Amino acid sequence: MTEMSRSAALPRQPVETERVRRPHEERAAWRLVAPAAMLIILILALPMAAVVALSLTDYQLGAEAWRFVGAANYADLAADPVFWRSIVNTVVYVVEVVAGSTALGLATALMLQGSSILAPVWRTVFFLPVMASLIAMAIVWEFMLHPTFGLVNGMLGLVGIAPVNWLQNSATALPALAVIGIWQQFGFAMVLFLAGLSGIPQALYDAAEMDGAPSAWSRFRLVTWPLLAPVTLFVVVISTIRSFQVFDTVHALTKGGPNKATEVLLYTMYAEGFEFFRTGRAAAIAVLFVAAMLVLTLTKVVVVEKRIHLK
Amino acid sequence: MRSQHETPPMHAKLSLSVLTLGLTLAGGPVLAQSPTEIVVQYPYGDVFNETHRRIAEAFAAEHPDIKVTFRAPYKDYEDATQRILREAMTGTGPDVTFQALNRVRALADKKVAVPLDDFVAAEKNFDAEGFHQAMFDAGSIGGKIYGVPFAVSLPVAYFNLDLVKLAGGDPAALPTTWDGVISLAAKIEGVKPGIHGMVAEWPISGNWLFQALVFDNGGTMMNGDETRVAFDGEAGRKAIGTLARMVTETKTPNISGNDMRTAFAAGQVGVLLTTTAYVNTLTKQIGDRFTMKTSPFPGLVPGVSRLPAGGNVMMITATDPAKRKAAWGLVKFWTGAQGGAIMVENTGYMAPNKKAADRLADFYARNPNQFTAVAQLPYLTNWYAFPGANGLKITDVIKDRLQSVMDGSRTSEADAVLTDMASDVQALLPAKN
Repeated sequence: MTEMSRSAALPRQPVETERVRRPHEERAAWRLVAPAAMLIILILALPMAAVVALSLTDYQLGAEAWRFVGAANYADLAADPVFWRSIVNTVVYVVEVVAGSTALGLATALMLQGSSILAPVWRTVFFLPVMASLIAMAIVWEFMLHPTFGLVNGMLGLVGIAPVNWLQNSATALPALAVIGIWQQFGFAMVLFLAGLSGIPQALYDAAEMDGAPSAWSRFRLVTWPLLAPVTLFVVVISTIRSFQVFDTVHALTKGGPNKATEVLLYTMYAEGFEFFRTGRAAAIAVLFVAAMLVLTLTKVVVVEKRIHLK
Repeated sequence: MRSQHETPPMHAKLSLSVLTLGLTLAGGPVLAQSPTEIVVQYPYGDVFNETHRRIAEAFAAEHPDIKVTFRAPYKDYEDATQRILREAMTGTGPDVTFQALNRVRALADKKVAVPLDDFVAAEKNFDAEGFHQAMFDAGSIGGKIYGVPFAVSLPVAYFNLDLVKLAGGDPAALPTTWDGVISLAAKIEGVKPGIHGMVAEWPISGNWLFQALVFDNGGTMMNGDETRVAFDGEAGRKAIGTLARMVTETKTPNISGNDMRTAFAAGQVGVLLTTTAYVNTLTKQIGDRFTMKTSPFPGLVPGVSRLPAGGNVMMITATDPAKRKAAWGLVKFWTGAQGGAIMVENTGYMAPNKKAADRLADFYARNPNQFTAVAQLPYLTNWYAFPGANGLKITDVIKDRLQSVMDGSRTSEADAVLTDMASDVQALLPAKN
C-alpha cells in the first residue's frame, strides 16, 4: 500500500538513461533480482496457483481424495443465492463506507487544517481507530449497540426513539457495520487529505481571492477541490480495496446474519472453507475475489498514470 | 515436531539431545520401559482447564506408565475441528482429541478418528463401571463407535419463579407440557413493562434446539437409511409450530442467544429454553436477584421423545497401536466414574456415566438445578449430523429458515417454511446411487 501511495503522491521522475546493455550486466541484473523473484513466486504465485487449482476440485478440508470437477464450483456459485446476496451486500457496504469515510475524512481535514493548537490532538484522536485492533473495537461496538443496555439506544431513548436491535435486525445490521467501517477508516482518509491540503500553495488562494472568489465555498470549489483530485482518487481506491476486505466486524458481531443480511464476500469464503469445509468452493470465491481486486488495482494504476501524464 | 517423530533411529544417534527429543515424541516402541506419552487437546480452556488438570492428576496416580501431555486448548468447537483436520493431513495431530458431539460424523468420514468397537468389546464389566449403550450411541456413526461422550449437555427449561408467581402460576407445579409452558409464558409476557414471557435459544449450534423439538415429538431428522429428509413429517410440523407459537402467543423477542441469556439473568424473562451447560454460569450471574429453577424440557413423553446430546466427545486419533491402547486407558478414565465426577463439580455439564452420577449424589442434592438434566438421561440420543459433503452447510440452511419464523417475517406460514427447509436440505444431500 505504501508503494502505491508514494507513486500516487509524487510525480514520477522521468527515466532518461537509455544505455547500451552489456551481457555481464544483464546476468548481474538477473542475479540481483533472483531473491525477490523467488520470494514472489514462493509466497504469491505458487499459493495463488494452488488456490486456482483447488477451485477446480471438490476438495474438502481433511478429505483423503478429491476429484477434478472443472468449473462446477463456479457454476454452483453462480446459482447460489447466498453468493449473490454476499456480492450485493459487499457492494452496498463498500459504497457506503467509501462515500462516508471520504466525505468525513475530507470534512475533518478541512476543519483541522492549520489554525488551532489542538489540531494535533484531534488528528491523533481521529487516527486512533485506524491503528486500533478492529476485532477489539468490534466488541466495544457490540456493547454500544446492545439492544437493552447499549449506549446508542440509551441516547436515542433520551430523544424518545424506541430501542432498535441494531445487529439482529436485517434492515439495520449492514448499515450498522458500515458505520463502524466508516468510523474505522475516515481517519486514514483525513491524514491523506491533510497531506494533500498542505501541498496547495497559499498563492493560489490569494490569487483566487483577487480574481473575485471571496467566499470560502468558492475558494474550496475553485482551488482546493480540483487540486485535491489526485488525493481523492487515491483515497477512494484505497478505501474501496480496504472495504472489500471487510471481515473482522462481520465475524465478531453478526456472523453474516441475521438471515444473510450481513453476509459479505470474505465471510462467505471463510464460512465455506472453515465452517462447511467446502474448500473447493471457498477457493473459487477466493479466485473471484482476487480477480476483482486486480481489476480495481489496475483501474487505479491506469487512471493515475493518465493524470500524471496530463500534468 | 513430526520430523523428529519420524526420524529413523540411525539419524537420531547423531546427538544426545535429538535422541532424547525423538524418544519423548516417538514414545513406547523404541524404549519400552519409559512411560507412553499421550498428547491430549481439548476446547474451551477457560471452562475445562481445571477439570482436565485434576483428572490428569488422578489418572497419573493410577497409571504411572502413561504420561499425559496437554496441548494449548482449542478456542472453540469450530477451531477444534479445523485444527484436527489440518493436523491429520500433516500427521501432527494429538493422540486424543475432544470434539463437539456433532462433529463425530465429519471426523469419522475423513478417517481421522479411530473406531473404538474392538476396545469396547474387549471390556468386561463395562456396565458395572457405569457405561451404557446410549452413551456409545451418542458417539456412533453408521453403527461404529468413534467417540465416547465426556461432557454432555441436554436442553432444559429455566424458570424465573418470581415472575411465575407474579403471573399467578404455581412455582411448586411448573408446567411440563408445551401448552402449559406457552400459556404460562403468555401470562408472564408484559406482567411488568419490559418483561418477556419466554425465549428459546434456537440459534445455538445452528439446529440443535430444532433437533430437540423434533426429537421431543418423536421425530427424526432423516429417514432410517439417510436418503430422505424426515423432519418435514408430523413431528417437524409440531416442532416448527411450537417455535411459531412462541412468537405469536408469547411474543418472544428476536434476539441473539447471548442476549437471551443476559436478559434471563437480568430477570427480564419468565422461561428460558437452552442447554443445561449454562446452569452454573446463570446461577452465578443471577445471584439472589430472583429464584431460578430448572425443569425438564417441555413435552417429553416416555418411550416417544428423545433429546440430542450437546457437549463434547473423546476421540482417539493416535496411529500407533501401543499409543491407541494407552489412549483407550485415558478415554475410559476420563469418561468413567471418577473423571465424570470431577468434570461435573468443575463445570456446568453432566457426566453421561451412570456411576459418576452415584458419586455425585451429595453434589446433586445441594444443586438440584443441575439434576434436572441428569433425570433426562434416558432420553439421550445423538446430536444428528447430516451426511455428505454439505453436512455442515445444511445446518446453516436450517438456521436461516428458522430465523424467518423467529423474526416474524414468515411466522404465520411456518408449515410452508418447513416445506422450503426440507427441499433446501434435500437438495444438499448426497445423491444416492
